[in-house]
Amino acid sequence: MSTLHVLSHSPFGDDRLNSCLRLIGANDALLLTGDAVYALQPGTAPFNALNARAPTLFVLTEDAQARALDIPGTAKGIDYPAFVELSLHYDKVNSWL
Amino acid sequence: MPTSLLVISRQAPWSGPSAREALDIVLAGGAFDLPIGLLFLDDGVFQLAAEQDARALQQKDLSANLQALPMFGVDDLFVCADSVAERGLDPTCLALEEARVLSAQEITALIDRYDQVVTL
Repeated sequence: MSTLHVLSHSPFGDDRLNSCLRLIGANDALLLTGDAVYALQPGTAPFNALNARAPTLFVLTEDAQARALDIPGTAKGIDYPAFVELSLHYDKVNSWL
Repeated sequence: MPTSLLVISRQAPWSGPSAREALDIVLAGGAFDLPIGLLFLDDGVFQLAAEQDARALQQKDLSANLQALPMFGVDDLFVCADSVAERGLDPTCLALEEARVLSAQEITALIDRYDQVVTL
């Protein structure tokens, strides 16, 4: 079984990212949307935590673009149609509301 | 076989309606005999602190709802060990005795077992 974890809240001042990274399994993936893409801000604690755990990582390109954040080589930028495909590819989606 | 659902509750009890609402979802699922589990994560473990008293906040006690979980047939109750330890709670004195305290690895396996998962 595989899970796509979807985060949409800023990792600054919130524990969702850290908890998610702690629980994410080897077959799972993480998708950053909305303010969660601030985790890609280089040199920050969330960015380092993300790189240390190095999960399979997807980023909603338009959200990163809007915030002037570069999508690193370790992540894959996707659009909404790809988001839909991704959610079908994994057995389930865990939205961290 | 109905679809199984794991609800992950990660909100502290008294700052808003989220904790109670997550609990209500689980109780409703239990009342309809759905295979449903509840995991307390992050600040959600504060819901399980012993001897809480929110009367001065004019809020109803959550502990009655917590104790109702087994009565509603919800036996799959879990608590994140790391969250409990980080917040200085005693895992042996939680308000929900039935809840099993799980490590991060055990929670990964737990999420794997369910058909659907939602984190509130």
